[in-house]
Amino acid sequence: MKLFNTKRASPNKLSADQIAVDIDGLSVRLNQKKVLKKISMRIPAFSITSVIGQSGCGKTTLLNAMNRMNEIVPEHQTTGQIWMDGRDINHRRENVSRLRTNVGMVFQRPNPFPMSIYENVCFGLKLQNKNNRRQLDDAVERALINAALWDEVKDRLHEPAGILSGGQQQRLMIARALALKPQILLLDEPTSALDPLATLFIEELMQSLKKHTTIVMVTHNMQQAARISDYTAFIHKGELVEFTNSDKLFTNPKRKQTEDYITGRYG
Amino acid sequence: MAHIEFNTHISGSFNRELEDLRNAVLVMGGEIEQQLLNTLKAMQFNDASLAEKVVINDIKINGLEVEIDQECLRILATRNPTASDLRLVVTVSKTITDIERMGDEIERVAKLITKGTFQIDEQIKLNTIALGEEIVKMMQQTFDAYARQDVSAALKVYEHDTLIDAKYQHIVRLLKERIQGDLTYLDEWLDIMSGLRALERIGDRCKNVCEYIIYLAGGQDVRHTNAKKIQKKIKAMILS
Repeated sequence: MKLFNTKRASPNKLSADQIAVDIDGLSVRLNQKKVLKKISMRIPAFSITSVIGQSGCGKTTLLNAMNRMNEIVPEHQTTGQIWMDGRDINHRRENVSRLRTNVGMVFQRPNPFPMSIYENVCFGLKLQNKNNRRQLDDAVERALINAALWDEVKDRLHEPAGILSGGQQQRLMIARALALKPQILLLDEPTSALDPLATLFIEELMQSLKKHTTIVMVTHNMQQAARISDYTAFIHKGELVEFTNSDKLFTNPKRKQTEDYITGRYG
Repeated sequence: MAHIEFNTHISGSFNRELEDLRNAVLVMGGEIEQQLLNTLKAMQFNDASLAEKVVINDIKINGLEVEIDQECLRILATRNPTASDLRLVVTVSKTITDIERMGDEIERVAKLITKGTFQIDEQIKLNTIALGEEIVKMMQQTFDAYARQDVSAALKVYEHDTLIDAKYQHIVRLLKERIQGDLTYLDEWLDIMSGLRALERIGDRCKNVCEYIIYLAGGQDVRHTNAKKIQKKIKAMILS
């Protein structure tokens, strides 16, 4: 008799086709500083994976590594492989624009462009020279529906995005990322600038998005990681301490460092 | 007093988790009720194999307790429930412990049936079955009250226990008469006494569950309070 539908297989027990991102020995050095040290983890597909850890531990760098955003830093060095769809994204021949289409990103603070709601959502599509009006209309509508924002903005699509509330703007950012139909969505503290109610709406949105997209999220809010993520990784000083099912990590972590961090005994 | 709705959170998955948790208790309650019914049937027809089945099936009840308790722990750790949600998770965790103990009491009676203990006196057997049937009713009322979070229904179950106690005392008096008349079957009489005590304790466990229902629905802790005071508290809760 199965009473509950909340048990998940450990990431190590999943088969290769259930894995969206396979990180193998990833080390990142930014401005002469070693930020990530030989990280190896397999991120399960169609699930929410949270990355937790102290400020400066390398969470965001790990997220950025997944769509090569670290390359913005002038002095950067990345070693190791990140496999997505059987391709190493760090390979020198990898097309970075295509990678960033497949791997969308949403940042801590909503950063709408100073243009209309409609233009914000189809910005990425236009960059890809997709200018067919009907196709753009469809893509914008679909992205806004998936981001649970359509009902609130459908009558004012051509008004400036700046008039939206913080929570709406963050959903707009998610819609902007979704318009490109990414396979993976990276969220860097997506709710830290939002009020509790807007946070819950974004979290609920993430639950529906994971049916079609793999979500990797960095969060400072441990309770949020526990609440919504299927898997959680704890990083400390650039090293992956523990990566397992959120249920296990928050009820019975294997490593003492993890236990100390999640119970507030650190330092 | 407003009925608590557990399916109105913004998070749909949290709604489902709480709903599943509540349903799991009812599933466990249904299993325990069937265990008791089978025990009474086995007692009535002196069916040792059915009683044996009840004993074996207790493992399933134990498994359910562990599974539901683990889910409570998971929800506490990951959802950080508050107010009525917290009361729900805590009361589920306590309720399943009581249900599991009911299972142990039933198992005790079933083991006695496999030895044919209740066959030595027809009158005592029939009275024990009647007591068991009352307890089944009490159990059903308890789980109905739990499903509906009905404080008034829970209070009625609480009152039902007085009837159970009276029936129990009546059988104990019969037993005393038998023991005073003939000591040949003293071991069997003592076994029957322990079986009766086990049945009566199931009633007490139902009472405990009702206390949890009252706590869940109204936030009032009525443990270790006499029936009159509970009634008073509940009336005040209903009026509020």
